[in-house]
Amino acid sequence: MRTGEIVLEHATRTFKVRPDRSRTLKELFVNRGHGSEPTVVRALDDVTLTVEPGEAVGMVGRNGAGKTSTLRCLAGIVPLDSGRAECGGRIVSLIELGAGFGPDFSGRENIYLNGALHGFEKHEIEERVERIIEFSELGDFIDVPIRTYSAGMELRLGFSIAAHLDADVMLIDEILAVGDESFQRKCLARISERMEAGATLVLVSHDPSAIERVCERLIVLDHGQVQFDGGVAEGLLFYHRLLGTEEGGSRSLRPGERATLEILELELQDADGRRRSAFRPGEPMRVRLAAGSVQPAERAVLALEVRDERGGLCFRTDTTLGEVSGQVDVLFEVPRLNLLGGDYDVVAGAYDQDAPEGGRLSRVTRLSVARTLEGEGIADLRGSWVVAGQRSPEEALR
Amino acid sequence: MRYRFLFEQMVRRELRQKYKGSALGVVWYLINPIVLMGAYALVFSVLLKVATVPDYPLFLIAGMIVWVFFSQALLSAAPSLVTNAPLVRKVRFPREAIPASAAAVQLATFLVMIVLLLPVELIVRGSADPALLLLPLIVALLFCFVLGLSLALSVLHAHYRDVEPVLAAALLPWFFVTPIFLRVDDIPGVSSRPWLGDLLQWANPITPFVDATRELLYAGAAPSVGEMLYLVGVGGAALALGLLAFRRLGRDLAVVL
Repeated sequence: MRTGEIVLEHATRTFKVRPDRSRTLKELFVNRGHGSEPTVVRALDDVTLTVEPGEAVGMVGRNGAGKTSTLRCLAGIVPLDSGRAECGGRIVSLIELGAGFGPDFSGRENIYLNGALHGFEKHEIEERVERIIEFSELGDFIDVPIRTYSAGMELRLGFSIAAHLDADVMLIDEILAVGDESFQRKCLARISERMEAGATLVLVSHDPSAIERVCERLIVLDHGQVQFDGGVAEGLLFYHRLLGTEEGGSRSLRPGERATLEILELELQDADGRRRSAFRPGEPMRVRLAAGSVQPAERAVLALEVRDERGGLCFRTDTTLGEVSGQVDVLFEVPRLNLLGGDYDVVAGAYDQDAPEGGRLSRVTRLSVARTLEGEGIADLRGSWVVAGQRSPEEALR
Repeated sequence: MRYRFLFEQMVRRELRQKYKGSALGVVWYLINPIVLMGAYALVFSVLLKVATVPDYPLFLIAGMIVWVFFSQALLSAAPSLVTNAPLVRKVRFPREAIPASAAAVQLATFLVMIVLLLPVELIVRGSADPALLLLPLIVALLFCFVLGLSLALSVLHAHYRDVEPVLAAALLPWFFVTPIFLRVDDIPGVSSRPWLGDLLQWANPITPFVDATRELLYAGAAPSVGEMLYLVGVGGAALALGLLAFRRLGRDLAVVL
């Protein structure tokens, strides 16, 4: 086993999830075998993978897909049912946010305890304690009990400790979920620094941009199995597609209500007419709508909107169909999807202009756009930079 | 010993956690047992006058400190894994350190008690017997016994949360069948029924520890060879069983907690 190497071989781990978690003696003796049957969850199902020393691997997956379990197995916190999970060298794990080991102890005391738990000696921690405090930017708060800390402060301390213990393998879970932008950037820079020093990293995150910034390899886990193992950009696209298929098509915004005219179906397709919910910026996209009416509508109108995660309007359009009776299928063609990475809602509505109740949006579907390194924001205005000319300082002054 | 510093940290944490914020802090670890023993000494030597032993409070306290150590260590070790669940879930380290540090803190209290009591006993008795050299060995065996039970109880409690209340309930009757107030032979009815004396002396594993420590401190008398062998056997067996139970049941600690 080389230092910094991570090996999983046919790793399998199942958990029994009971409605009532802790067992009691009474349960053991009285209803032996009759109690509520536990559900078995396969957190790791015959997973085999190798991470080379110095590699940075991101891990994504839906909640319950086995990400945190994998980290715990790698860290040796949870044993495997069968197979092998090993890390070469010293491991530092940052699992579950923050450093909160003893709420009544000061930040400084927690640094020592945390270091000791990871198997460091007193002098090794003493050498690092000032750097840790400085990095955490906690200042005088370092000598205050942790229970007075905000979630952000606890996270800062936890990360600062993990990042300065100089491990060969760093296992980090959802580190960047809290904390301000500048601290996040500092964390990522510190991780890169550790990587240059030869450390191996496994980073579990819901945040694709964090993974894009530090990882060169992505593993997508689902149902305890590796569904994808490869480059980050392709992996994220794969992951978005996985999320899309699961969420499954569109849903009605007003279930149970019947209007005279309504959207019956709403679906996103690629250029070949295949259903999809994840796209890359700049790809062509089609929206397929089916509108139906109970009684003939004289002047049917269809509306389509794209909204961002916060509900802000990105785009809206509508069209007058004229007379509609029964069902009508409509396509809206987008030759080039000019949206940047993120999740969007595509909302559709139909109404009869002559009917009294007016227009309402009635169906929504999720659109995921893969992130790109070339730009941030919503609108895809990617272009090219050109140096148009140069002048010497003297010329510029004149 | 890669984890020596961890153990030191855990003991410090255990010591300060309980009474953190109180004015007297760590001193409370001594005040409670002293008050308890003072009360018993008062009741049994002054008010009830059950014993005919000279300097009865010294006799009583010499046996009582063993019981206090035993019961307090088990009571604080049993729930220790559950109270330290966040540690267990987040990091890999030898989890034995958690119940062991809980027991070690009580050992420290016990040693302080001995240090306070020993000079008084020596002055009152007026002689220092060579048998006292056995004291460290007996304390070490007692600690093995307590540590083994602490490991087993803590890991059992992590799986079955009734263990601690059951233990707390069991300790009270256990206290009364342990010959702390009187020597086994002085208990009324034992002289006519020798089997009862044997039962009280040997069926309860803490009795020989209480007896040996008390006779050493109070009378300066060394335990018999048989009793010494018993202490070695019980101490070793408890520790081995505790480690075995911990290894077996401790695998899935991060999951059950």
